Amino acid sequence: MHFRTLMAALLVMASTAAMAQQQGVTDKEILLGEVEPLTGPPALLGIAYNVGTKIAIAEANKAGGVNGRMLKLIVEDDGYVSARTLQALRKLIEVDKIFALTSLSGSGASVAALPVVEKAGLPTMASIAPISQLFQPPRKNVFAVGQTYEEGMYQLTRYLAMKFPDKKWGILTQDDDYGATLKGGFGMTARESKLNVVYQADYKKGQQDFSSEMLKVRSSGAEIFLAGGVIAETVGMVRELEKLNAKPVTAMFWPGRVSATLKLMGPAGDGIYAVDYVEAEDSAAYKAFLEKAKTLVGEAEIKAINRYTIASYVSTRVLIEAMRRCGKALTWECTIAEIEKTENFKTGLMGPVNFGKGVRFSSQAVRIMRADFATLSYKPVE
Amino acid sequence: MQYLVDQIVSGIAVGAIYGLIAMGLALIYKSTGLANFAQGEMAMLIAYIAWTLAGLMPGHPWLVVGGALVASVVLGLAIERLIMRPMLGEPVFATVMVTIALAVILRAGAMLIWDPYPHALDIGIGRGVVMLGATGLREAQLAAILTLMAALAGFWAFFRYSRIGKAMRAVAADSRAAQLMGISAARIHAIAWTASAVIAGLAGIFFALLYDVSPNLYHVGLKSFPATILGGLDSVLGSGFGGVLIGVAENLAGGYLASSIKEIAGFIVIIAVLMIRPFGLFGERDIERV
Repeated sequence: MHFRTLMAALLVMASTAAMAQQQGVTDKEILLGEVEPLTGPPALLGIAYNVGTKIAIAEANKAGGVNGRMLKLIVEDDGYVSARTLQALRKLIEVDKIFALTSLSGSGASVAALPVVEKAGLPTMASIAPISQLFQPPRKNVFAVGQTYEEGMYQLTRYLAMKFPDKKWGILTQDDDYGATLKGGFGMTARESKLNVVYQADYKKGQQDFSSEMLKVRSSGAEIFLAGGVIAETVGMVRELEKLNAKPVTAMFWPGRVSATLKLMGPAGDGIYAVDYVEAEDSAAYKAFLEKAKTLVGEAEIKAINRYTIASYVSTRVLIEAMRRCGKALTWECTIAEIEKTENFKTGLMGPVNFGKGVRFSSQAVRIMRADFATLSYKPVE
Repeated sequence: MQYLVDQIVSGIAVGAIYGLIAMGLALIYKSTGLANFAQGEMAMLIAYIAWTLAGLMPGHPWLVVGGALVASVVLGLAIERLIMRPMLGEPVFATVMVTIALAVILRAGAMLIWDPYPHALDIGIGRGVVMLGATGLREAQLAAILTLMAALAGFWAFFRYSRIGKAMRAVAADSRAAQLMGISAARIHAIAWTASAVIAGLAGIFFALLYDVSPNLYHVGLKSFPATILGGLDSVLGSGFGGVLIGVAENLAGGYLASSIKEIAGFIVIIAVLMIRPFGLFGERDIERV
């Protein structure tokens, strides 16, 4: 009888312990993971995003960790290739056994990864490319901070349509999910404002030479041109327009709103319009963030900082604060519930972050900016 | 009409870069019977070296270009002596696999030595715009076209009149007979790899001046394969022309059909041509396909 009681007690204790100790959590450590492009041209975004996560983690660890547990990050490179995203995620979840994900990679790759993440059930912040498929319909464990590409493009084109009425428009976008969402946002403005679209085309992902496309833009008479590339493609389009001495009002989307893009474009990039929900480089909040970052990460990381660093920093801070509110008994359920309760979380680097019951997207207000080649930065327009 | 002219001229300019790399491919094939799958990566590596030199020697464009070309000579000799010569006599398939491995190593090496970011190669020349009538071209585009023309003329004279050129043709025709006549196949191979690396390096520098320096620069090598197949895998001059044809075909497809067809236009052209001339437009003999 005593033996049976002892065995039952041991079983209860063992199962309780298993429940309490969620994957990726020990008494001293919480294991986080992220996937992003760290190679190829999109590495400009992926590496910067990774630096933001590192800064948020270093800041938390410097303050004693999350309820005494130090945060550790495992990073996987997918090279902006969806098949590699899935492979990396499986490794992080099934082999490394991380507690939560701080990034799901770029737009198309993150959408492809959704079933894996949803099935696994771990808390996931997917803010590198917050496209609507990530949170419409809402998934229990997937959260995003930022703004959708459709809405960003809608706001950008709406601004341009009001500032430059009755002009001819041209748009060139990538032949993937990213390009489709940009076209979606542009289409909303085009229908609403009855824009005169004289050129609209898709280019193949990875294309480097845009001479024939830009000749077409020039011959179409487009007076406003939307360069819908990621980085190298947008640079290629702008430099080709410069060569052709074509001077339409040019605008690009936020993946290109980094100083490195402006440096690659040269003087041709001066005055280009962009859109973003992250504070501009000359804002007090951005400068303060930069100073803080210098105390937390190395010189190489500081050099990589751009708008994606801010996006990641804010998103990871939301996750860390949710984990902190869970106390010692850290579980997926509790963390997801606490992220959901996030309300009016302010960093000064973008608008306040809010989630809610069934709300998995914290929508941020966007601002229109213009490139200033002299300072390699972007300044908000009035 | 001006639109058509602009499309063709831009196509010739990008095609000149394909053509230079394709000539390097054909040169190695002609001398060694080997398809070098690392040709684009060689162009990428030299572009990175030029970018590094540009940082070290700002304001000295010719020293940068000269230094990069010296580096390409060293690269060509090193690949031949350390990697390809030990493979002499081994099955073609194994040797081709070695070039594929070399390509992967060069790509990964570039990311380890430098970084994965795109960089502008700014040496103070090459980016200005030159007007040819009503058509604008960047200096580097014009230089690429002139370099291709010089390379075509130079290789034509080299194969026709020089002793080494004749020896190279002899090795290509019958390696064993050439060796019995006292021609050193190893020396010919070394010259072919070196010349190939130099023209790939030039193409890499032109490409970097026009677009950027990044690990993705090797993609230009993938565009050069159809150019070589189109011109004839064993025809150095034909491969140069093949590059120009591919460049023009791409631009006309992008300019008159759809941008999405542009990237596959070259491949459509080679399918059409190879159905009529299986050895390419200027190819002369049976080619072992691997």
